[in-house]
Amino acid sequence: MGPFDGAWLAATVTLATPILLAATGELFSERAGILNVGLEGMILSGAFGGYWGAWWFGDIWLGVLAGILAGVGLAAVMAVLSVQARADQIVVGVGLNLMAIGITTFMFREIFGDRGEIILTRMDHEAIPFLSDLPGIGKPLFAQTPVVYLAVGLVVAAWVVLNKTSWGLSVRAAGEVPAAVDSAGVSVLAIRWQALLITGGFAGLAGATLSIVRLGLFQENMSAGRGFLALAAVIFGRWKPVGILGACLVFAAADSTQLRLQAEGSIPGEVWLVLALAVAGGALLVLARSGWSVGLLRQPRIGLLIAAVVLGFVLYGLEPAWSFPSQLWLALPFVVTLLALAGAAGHTQAPAALTIPYQRDHDV
Amino acid sequence: MQLRMKSALMSILVNLTALITALAVSMVIIALSGAEALEAVRALWDGAFAGRAQVAGTLSKMIPLLLVSLGWIVAYSARRVSIGFEGQILIGGAFATWVGITLSLPIGLHLFLAVLFGVVGGAIWAGIAAWLWARRNVNEIISTLLLNLIAIEVVSWLVRGPFQEATGTFPRSMPIVDAARWPLLVARSALTSDFLVALAMVVVIGFMLRHTTFGYRLRFTGANERAARHGGIKTIRVNVLALVISGALAGLAGASLILGGESRSMSDNFSANYGFEGIVVALLARNNPYATVPAALLFAALRQGRGLMEARVGVSSSIVLIAQGLVILLIAGASFLLERRQTARVDTDAAAEESA
Repeated sequence: MGPFDGAWLAATVTLATPILLAATGELFSERAGILNVGLEGMILSGAFGGYWGAWWFGDIWLGVLAGILAGVGLAAVMAVLSVQARADQIVVGVGLNLMAIGITTFMFREIFGDRGEIILTRMDHEAIPFLSDLPGIGKPLFAQTPVVYLAVGLVVAAWVVLNKTSWGLSVRAAGEVPAAVDSAGVSVLAIRWQALLITGGFAGLAGATLSIVRLGLFQENMSAGRGFLALAAVIFGRWKPVGILGACLVFAAADSTQLRLQAEGSIPGEVWLVLALAVAGGALLVLARSGWSVGLLRQPRIGLLIAAVVLGFVLYGLEPAWSFPSQLWLALPFVVTLLALAGAAGHTQAPAALTIPYQRDHDV
Repeated sequence: MQLRMKSALMSILVNLTALITALAVSMVIIALSGAEALEAVRALWDGAFAGRAQVAGTLSKMIPLLLVSLGWIVAYSARRVSIGFEGQILIGGAFATWVGITLSLPIGLHLFLAVLFGVVGGAIWAGIAAWLWARRNVNEIISTLLLNLIAIEVVSWLVRGPFQEATGTFPRSMPIVDAARWPLLVARSALTSDFLVALAMVVVIGFMLRHTTFGYRLRFTGANERAARHGGIKTIRVNVLALVISGALAGLAGASLILGGESRSMSDNFSANYGFEGIVVALLARNNPYATVPAALLFAALRQGRGLMEARVGVSSSIVLIAQGLVILLIAGASFLLERRQTARVDTDAAAEESA
């Protein structure tokens, strides 16, 4: 399939994992009503914590644990300030990000500055016995590092916890109508604390994935905006685990496509085909969500979509020697998210109490 | 008036405490890492103020900080939380760069046009977020954030593509023509005349917020949108304008970074985190336009001096980031102490102006 081969798929999965972890963790916070802009900082701390832990203990999984704890630590600070002190969540998030860059850079130079670049052993890929022998998709999907499988498991767990447990119900209620949670005798503050700590843990894991699992090293400011990508993924995925999984895959696909195209001279025809199919798929999704109402077909936007799909097929056939700058591909997920947000018919599906600190007896 | 004085004093007290605590913690960290804490502070001071070049550098770094903080204040007055200044700086700078490298015009005009384009660029970039907010109910925190990320890619492409310098080896633009650059304010230094423009904007914004009808509408909308709407204020338009103006200010900062300063061309990430530090400056100034001047001076000094601190004492300049983060966290954490008074102040103001 042109550039969309096994290696591309493997790269997509690898690239998606850290963002998926961070976004799934963030889901808990946002559902509970906290907009955690400090996610970027938590990921970075996890990356450094993981690197330091793996070096200190000589074991990669202990490193992962250290990364998780680093994320949790930062989340605790956020919780003290945003949940207890009711400080502005955005401001605290920005502050945490600055501190995380400062602390990780400082400690990295302090501890490792004179030692030269220490590259640790990366995590091995573990193939799942039967599935990894499937043709085509076997190796990319089922011969990954254990963290990838863990990530998928965690996404499923998140879905189960949020939708099927009473704690999950409290979390969702805390983000919509916190007063109701309070009157039911459950502490809103405690729920938000728990949600934040979970987010921190997930983010720390995501960071450790970036540093020691994938590369075996740490670079200053390694998170490179992935925290913000994860925030976008939560929105794009409409605050649901499945949606978030889809969003992260879209982002990762654009990224791995971009990496791949750097090697090619011009855009292979298959790319247009995939884009056309993606647009068609997206349109069908929207149609399905609004109940397959035929009236939708009369809307002016439909003409545009059909034209885009047709154009995609045409370009697939013609395969013109175009080449887009790689930055366009990198920017594509963000543009797509913006478009998705703009096109979300109706009103925002964000949790109603997002970013509003909870205060009992306040006449707000 | 009594209430205002008291809450102002409280604010200053909280800020000073936060600053001193952050400084103390930083010094402890420096000491723990084995370096001489006092030496580090001295080096920081020297780097920022010791000589003419240093002071010029410090003042020069104040410019984008002032402009971004003013942008934040304008947007926040309407309770819009824009964190898109990085992107607006980048796009504004890109617009200004285009004028600076493609056109050739007489001296005053070229600069004027470049600055104008910079302002417009930032305004447009913020305008996208404003439109999304007004017409599609998209949260501006997220949209401005995404626009930041897009802007980084746009600039990255420009400096490696259409704008790239002649040899094609470095990721930076062609040099900006001298005719389009800000004239020096102080001879043989890095300080350019846009410093005066920035100071002027402080006064303009301060005046606008307190003494014009628009400023009143802005603050009223921010304080109580529903009441403002019932009172006949077109709140959507006010909010959009708030975001666009804040973008324009950031765009001006971008133009300033490109057309002034040390580098003569545009390169990757030339916004250098000014977009976020400006927010910190505004918070430190408690959203008061005039207070942004000392706050910006402090942060500019930290930026300017940290290089020398690193060179002389070996303390990584990242300690400054830690200190900044601490300042934000401490001020944010203590803010709830001032919350009630702050709300009372705004209501009293609005009521007083209403009856005036």
